[in-house]
Amino acid sequence: MLKRLLGTLLSVVIITSFMSGCRQETSKDQIVLTLWSIATESDAFSNAYSKAIKDFEDANPGVKIVHETFENEAYKTKIKTAVTGNKLPDLFFTWGGGFSKPFVESGKVLAIDKYYTDEYKEQLSEAALTYTTYNGKIYGSTYTTPISALFYNKKIFDENGLKAPTTFDELVQVCDKLIQKGITPIGISAKDTWVLAMTHDAMTLKSAGSEKVKAALTKAGQSYDDPDFLESAKKFRQLVEMGAFYKGATGLSNDEASALFYSGKVAMYTTGSWMAGSIQTDAENPSDFDVVPFPLLGSNAKATDFMGGAVDSIMVSASTKDPDLAGKAAFELTRSISKYAYLDGAGLAVWKKDYDDSGVNPMTKKLADFAANATSFTLWFDTTMEAEDAGEYLTLLQELYVGEITPEEFVSSMKKNLE
Amino acid sequence: MKTVRQNKLAAILFILPASLLFFTIIIMPIFMSGYYSFLGWDGINQPTFIGIGNYIELFTSPVAGFPKSLLNALILAVLSVFIQLPLSLGLALVLSRGVKGEKFFVAVFFMPVLISTVVIGQLWLKIYNPEYGIVNVALNSLGLEKYARTWLGEQDTALIAVFIPIIWQYVGYHMLLMYAGIKSIPTEIREAAKVEGATEGQIDRYIIIPMLKPIIKVCVIFAVTGSLKAFDLIYVLTRGGPAKATEVPSTLMVAMIFDRNRYGFGSAIAIMIIALCFFFALAIKRAFGTEED
Amino acid sequence: MDREIKAVTNEFHTPTKAIVQKKIKISSILTYTVLGIWAVINIFPLYWMFTFSLKSNKEIFGDNVIGLPKEWLFSNYLNALTKGNMALYLINSTIVTGLTIILTLIVASMATYALTRLVWRGRKTVNNIIMLGLTIPIHAAILPVYLILDKLKMLNSYQALIIPYTAFGLAMSIMICNGFIVNIPKELDEAACIDGCSVYGIFFRIILPLMKPALSTVAIFTFLSCWNELMFANILIDDAKYRTISVGIQTLSGTHTTEWGPIGAALVIATFPTLILYSFMSTKIQKSLTAGAVKG
Repeated sequence: MLKRLLGTLLSVVIITSFMSGCRQETSKDQIVLTLWSIATESDAFSNAYSKAIKDFEDANPGVKIVHETFENEAYKTKIKTAVTGNKLPDLFFTWGGGFSKPFVESGKVLAIDKYYTDEYKEQLSEAALTYTTYNGKIYGSTYTTPISALFYNKKIFDENGLKAPTTFDELVQVCDKLIQKGITPIGISAKDTWVLAMTHDAMTLKSAGSEKVKAALTKAGQSYDDPDFLESAKKFRQLVEMGAFYKGATGLSNDEASALFYSGKVAMYTTGSWMAGSIQTDAENPSDFDVVPFPLLGSNAKATDFMGGAVDSIMVSASTKDPDLAGKAAFELTRSISKYAYLDGAGLAVWKKDYDDSGVNPMTKKLADFAANATSFTLWFDTTMEAEDAGEYLTLLQELYVGEITPEEFVSSMKKNLE
Repeated sequence: MKTVRQNKLAAILFILPASLLFFTIIIMPIFMSGYYSFLGWDGINQPTFIGIGNYIELFTSPVAGFPKSLLNALILAVLSVFIQLPLSLGLALVLSRGVKGEKFFVAVFFMPVLISTVVIGQLWLKIYNPEYGIVNVALNSLGLEKYARTWLGEQDTALIAVFIPIIWQYVGYHMLLMYAGIKSIPTEIREAAKVEGATEGQIDRYIIIPMLKPIIKVCVIFAVTGSLKAFDLIYVLTRGGPAKATEVPSTLMVAMIFDRNRYGFGSAIAIMIIALCFFFALAIKRAFGTEED
Repeated sequence: MDREIKAVTNEFHTPTKAIVQKKIKISSILTYTVLGIWAVINIFPLYWMFTFSLKSNKEIFGDNVIGLPKEWLFSNYLNALTKGNMALYLINSTIVTGLTIILTLIVASMATYALTRLVWRGRKTVNNIIMLGLTIPIHAAILPVYLILDKLKMLNSYQALIIPYTAFGLAMSIMICNGFIVNIPKELDEAACIDGCSVYGIFFRIILPLMKPALSTVAIFTFLSCWNELMFANILIDDAKYRTISVGIQTLSGTHTTEWGPIGAALVIATFPTLILYSFMSTKIQKSLTAGAVKG
């Protein structure tokens, strides 16, 4: 019995390994490009990717795009290993800024300046490609420009006679009032540290202004040990100490923390524009919610200065067999994804809108208007900084949140971190 | 008999497949990690050789916090050996005596091992949830509100809150090993002892446990090396936080390698984990006495 | 009345016996209570997994964490099955896990035999080196393993998983086999030898049959470590064609938001084979043990 079982299984192995020997048997004139992304079928961008790929294949007969999708966190590990092993697919999704910098430096990513034609230039500004430009060369194209803002529960605000805050002092007053009424003002996750950073990044931007923040994070002659940075760290602690944040936040993931917001247990949440899409599906009554720019701390920044930027990009492998086609595909695909994702309410478009968008949900539209009228974009700290510094920043921020270190220590540690 | 047992060709043939696999997939990576640990390397670009710089940082940098993570792992190892294993042994002994529903209990006690860590992790997140978690709800309903807290989010409770599920999940794992071990001890021995008037406790203590020594040794080695490498549940529950309170070497290593692109430093942590595990495994083996021959 | 008196006198006459019986009764009640409580604690995750597979995010995160679903969302199962290619992933997982188990059993039992029954120089050292397999943190090994498999042209195939799974499981398997084989009396080998069995004959006719409980245990443990493995399965496989169920389930979560219901449903589906195999293997263990295969 066991022998027979063994025999069957062995033959299965032989057959399958034989099959794997002659896989990817496509007709000779068909060109296959492989694309890796994190747009899994459960992701908001999935539909946009599929449509974009179909459009591209229709416009380029004989070309097939094989789309392999991976889960966000696992993908980060996977893409790094693929770069090291020189096994990048023709086209791959990645994050601009600090994340892809070592990839570009390793020479395994293709510069695609020559495929950035006038047609594309007109629809996608060079400024949008800031975070995929390294040493003056463009290495990737982008499809969405998320920004972060303060989402709030309009119903709770109305019931308590509150108005959306525009300055930090107003924010503190709102929090005070809500605490008196027994409502937790702000939802946050201190376990998924990027959520913590969403609030702190916005506060720092509104305290120090865009130029100063960028200069400090990119080590361009601005020290982090500066009154404006200290101010935001102190105010951040002030919010913690007054009990503005959900008190169990250190034990909650983003999923759990945002669920509290959707169900009306907390009144505010600072995060990326993607929350507008989630509210439509996860909140019982999406019209109860609204969004405003993060309040100002002092006068160094304007309400129209936003955290955010186009980092979600598609890059091309330097070892692709057909660089011309892949280079063109990077732009074509991102253009279509930009459109379809915006129409789905999955993300804010970064390419010019030359289509009817009346069907988009109002909150996403509002955010798109914020983005269109923005006076500056500052990329999130952990995306701007290189991986090592970013990791340190998130750790320090968590320590600041739990009170392990003081705002002064935080600022001086950040200064050391960025030296 | 002697000549048969000294058949060199047979020895080579029997050990060859294991050696080949072991050399390519286990030994080579260890050596490669050893080499990486002397590099300043982001895992992607040209590395620079920095000698034992990573190791020096490992033990001197308060920012990295390796010594503390190591202490946490050792606490887990101690708890595993002195709480988890005795529990497993107790259950295995009781069940193998032949209680009613023996098979049912064995199957049920093994259940947590069968279920994916994702599920176990999510479940414990719910148990510890400050708002609706079972622990806090129970405390509140007993009028003990003042003891309710954010179990995974407070520095003084997070570590123990993380360790409880880890220890609980693998009780069944060791129990099954010990149970199978006890069951393979011939029943005649037990019966003979009974005839002589020994009580169940005496049989367990003087006959079963000594005969189970080889399996107990294996369990202790698994428990200690497993604790020093613990990762999955800690990552799901706290990611090593808050403020490093639940950091263990593996979570630190993963953060260094994959989040911070410090492949060399991460490899140095890996080498420390390997060295410690190996040291403890050898020490445990020796402590249990060498096997025959 | 009569009876009672009788009972009392009985007790009076043989006090020790009655007390002992009472003690046994109390201790057995205690035993069953403890076992029962522990059983409930351990079966709870299974119940919880089933219920959350039928809930929406709203219920899972707050509204109704522990109870039965208010709204039974069987659509979660449809969702899990239609998104991605779960059927294919299940087949892949079965192939990979099945072959890993077979390979592990063959390689580990052979190695155990050589390490415990045959006499050769250096076997103690090898016995110690084997333990190195328990020590490697998988996250640090992934890049070296990736590079090695790339050199061997094995990436992106079933072998890409089977080979490392077997290698990583070997140490555990050999040690478990070692723990059991010492209880098989050497006299059996000797008797067989006198009967004219060769070194190979002893292995196949004596050792292997007697190792069945150990091998079943190894099979269960190997199954568990392969079936839920994520790291290797994620990195060593690019092609969705060879993707395993653990990675498949992972792709059910989105970047910023995750519907947990379908994930629960997929996990339930993925756990079924585990339960079936476990009950099959554990009856095997029971049978081979109660058959009195091992005679002292």
